[in-house]
Amino acid sequence: MFKLNTKLIVSASVVTVAALLTAGCMESGAKPASAHVATASDIAGGVIYPIVDGKTGPYRVNEKAMSMKLNNGRVPTANELKAWDKDVMPDGTGLPEGEGSVEDGEAIYEAQCLSCHGDFGSGGGGYPALSKGNAVELQKTLTNNRWRDPDADGPTRVFGSYWPQASTMWWYIKDGMPHPKSKTLTDDETYALTAYMLNINEFEIDGEEVDDEYVLTREKFLKIKMPNEKGFEPNIDGPTALTDVRAYYANPANFGGKKVNPSERCMTNCQEKTAVVTRIENGGISEFHPPMSAVRDLPVEKAKALDMKKVYADNCAMCHDTGVAPTVGDKDGWASFVAKGMDKVYANGINGTEGGMPAKGGSSLSDSDFKKLVDYVINGK
Amino acid sequence: MDNNKSQKDLEVSDRRDFFKKTAALGVSALAGTSLMASGDDDAIMHHVPWGQTWGDPVTKNLYGVPSKYEHNVTRRYTKLLASGNYRASIAVTPIHESEGIITPNGLFFSRSHGGTAHINPHEFRLMIHGLVEKEIVLTLDQLKRYPSVTRTHFIECPANGGQEWRGPQFNSLQFAKGFMASAQWTGVYIKTILADLGIKPEAQWMLAEGSDNSEMGRTVPIDKVLDDAMIVWGQNGEALRPEQGYPARLLLPGWEGNLCVKWLKRLEFASEPWYCKEETSKYTALKPSGKAIQHFYANEVNSTVVSPSPEKPWTDLEDGDVIEIEGLAWSGMGTITGVDISFDGGMNYVEASLKGLVLPKSWTRWSYMHTFKKGEKLILASRAMDDAGYIQPTIDEEVSIMGVESVYHRNAVETWEVTATGEVNHVQLRTPGGVKNV
Repeated sequence: MFKLNTKLIVSASVVTVAALLTAGCMESGAKPASAHVATASDIAGGVIYPIVDGKTGPYRVNEKAMSMKLNNGRVPTANELKAWDKDVMPDGTGLPEGEGSVEDGEAIYEAQCLSCHGDFGSGGGGYPALSKGNAVELQKTLTNNRWRDPDADGPTRVFGSYWPQASTMWWYIKDGMPHPKSKTLTDDETYALTAYMLNINEFEIDGEEVDDEYVLTREKFLKIKMPNEKGFEPNIDGPTALTDVRAYYANPANFGGKKVNPSERCMTNCQEKTAVVTRIENGGISEFHPPMSAVRDLPVEKAKALDMKKVYADNCAMCHDTGVAPTVGDKDGWASFVAKGMDKVYANGINGTEGGMPAKGGSSLSDSDFKKLVDYVINGK
Repeated sequence: MDNNKSQKDLEVSDRRDFFKKTAALGVSALAGTSLMASGDDDAIMHHVPWGQTWGDPVTKNLYGVPSKYEHNVTRRYTKLLASGNYRASIAVTPIHESEGIITPNGLFFSRSHGGTAHINPHEFRLMIHGLVEKEIVLTLDQLKRYPSVTRTHFIECPANGGQEWRGPQFNSLQFAKGFMASAQWTGVYIKTILADLGIKPEAQWMLAEGSDNSEMGRTVPIDKVLDDAMIVWGQNGEALRPEQGYPARLLLPGWEGNLCVKWLKRLEFASEPWYCKEETSKYTALKPSGKAIQHFYANEVNSTVVSPSPEKPWTDLEDGDVIEIEGLAWSGMGTITGVDISFDGGMNYVEASLKGLVLPKSWTRWSYMHTFKKGEKLILASRAMDDAGYIQPTIDEEVSIMGVESVYHRNAVETWEVTATGEVNHVQLRTPGGVKNV
């Protein structure tokens, strides 16, 4: 194992180099875990290949290029920094003043969010559920694990029961939602939606229930206690964070890793006596697009006509088949829309609506093809 | 270039070929190896149409496309892995058709959290700010002015294999292991930029943020930033594809794919971490204790048999044929040092050979020569080791620590069953209900 020992020496030396750069935040963890095994000296338990004699691992480098003063780019203006530095941290850094009520939040939710996230955040259309009930109670399901009993209830991982910080929700709503037109909500609307999230997850803030009358402000937001705040490891907060992370990944038992001296690895009788061949049940998952094939025959020429059923399934079904909007061929459901005139129906479909219909349903159809699709959805043929 | 148009051209020339060939040689010529009554091979005994007519002029396909016969070699998606409208979704790499350790750019697995953004390179800006001595904004040209390095690394979604914690689900290599791909990346080490800017001693974390619809963000520890983290703009000798974050993405060699933030717009340095959505609500691994691992960075040592696989069975082999069993091994923690192969589901192992370039945090090819016995049932398994000292655990070993609810970072030994007829099925060797006393 001469090669491994070389790595051990090399990886110890890089910690010195890096520690100089980071002013001492990496001093721990440099010692090898075992004399038999190469040192895992990067923070995640991996090997570092430092630049030594013009090489890093197998790659040659121009060492002069690594440390030149290049004076590239320009200093951003104060306004530019303000425009882009919009992140929100758990301590409230970046969280603007503002307020919003559960009532307003519910109205915005129903207009802009429900089409994907379902009634009261119940999920649907492939988008995540935002609530499954009382956050404190559901946090207790996180110890559920189906490895003893595959038919048991699994853990419930939604915003209220799982997420460690509320700041994540505010920040993500403001930056990433609603999905088809993100960054269109005001700060107050974001507070209102966050208030609604807290309401449907049955939160209390400072002993007060987030009921239908609740109005969330910045001050109240910073008092939110997430039930699962302490549910994560390793520690990543405070001045010891990097040392803590390094120590965590130095121990394979923490994350399911397995270390072994290569010359002592198991070569015979390596499975548990109780292990059996487990097969795919019920056909497994085989709905692949395009269908799985490794043949090299030329494809049969496809019909030119639009496959309406497929276009509908790919683009429309997640809302129109889940009760959010009238389904295909639902004459009664469509009557009130059709009554406004087909030009209006086409225009709404092509341009999208405030009510949650994405422009062309998110498809890339031409206007004329999209109109044919609208006809299909309304008439069912 | 107009791909649709060239596709049409191909179809037209295709039909022309078909009729010409059919007329000249009869239907039997359509099957590549069919023999005439004499035992002579048509493909040898007759002039082939492409040998007697002009081929395409060089003016055609000025950006080349694969042979029309390779049309089944594509990324694939499945509804199970799609968040509505396929905008927070994944399309996976056909690794059963992959050669060597480089994935063609058009087949590189594609994962986004708000759809593939198409960035105008003239409006690309990268802002680097926070706890640095000098804050800067770069245009794309200015970014590329930094001295570059080129490295071969895989990128793997930590959910690769994550649907199969409770049992095998996919009878397919593409879906069981294809949440990854590999490329030769060109860009700049972030430590090179920081040598220019200066970093403040209290900086412990870097936020990387994308400019896409989801403003995908992740927090990176400074250790990685100062080790081998790169901002890359080149992929296999050309600009990044839009699906890979054109014009620039973060590359953290060996670490979770989602940490390699695409469509990069901002790097901020701070003393405390950010708690982004994709490092809290997702990409955290729940253990039986009820605690979840956050900031789970490195993809652990892993391997798979590529040939045979469910897509590439041994149904055409004859008794006594000598055949190469071939596969991939990879580790986000270092360099592959060895691969063992088992014919009985990971009970007993023999050493396989590594072959080709063996690079850090890279796909590595391995090989074992096997004599096929007609009717013999096998359960093939491969087990890789890396220079960080890690080896792949058995499923029982991994589940005994991680349970079955953690979704991410599953790297236990995986098995293919070869049936008496040479079909290949995905199976797992595991103890029902898990092993005791964990």
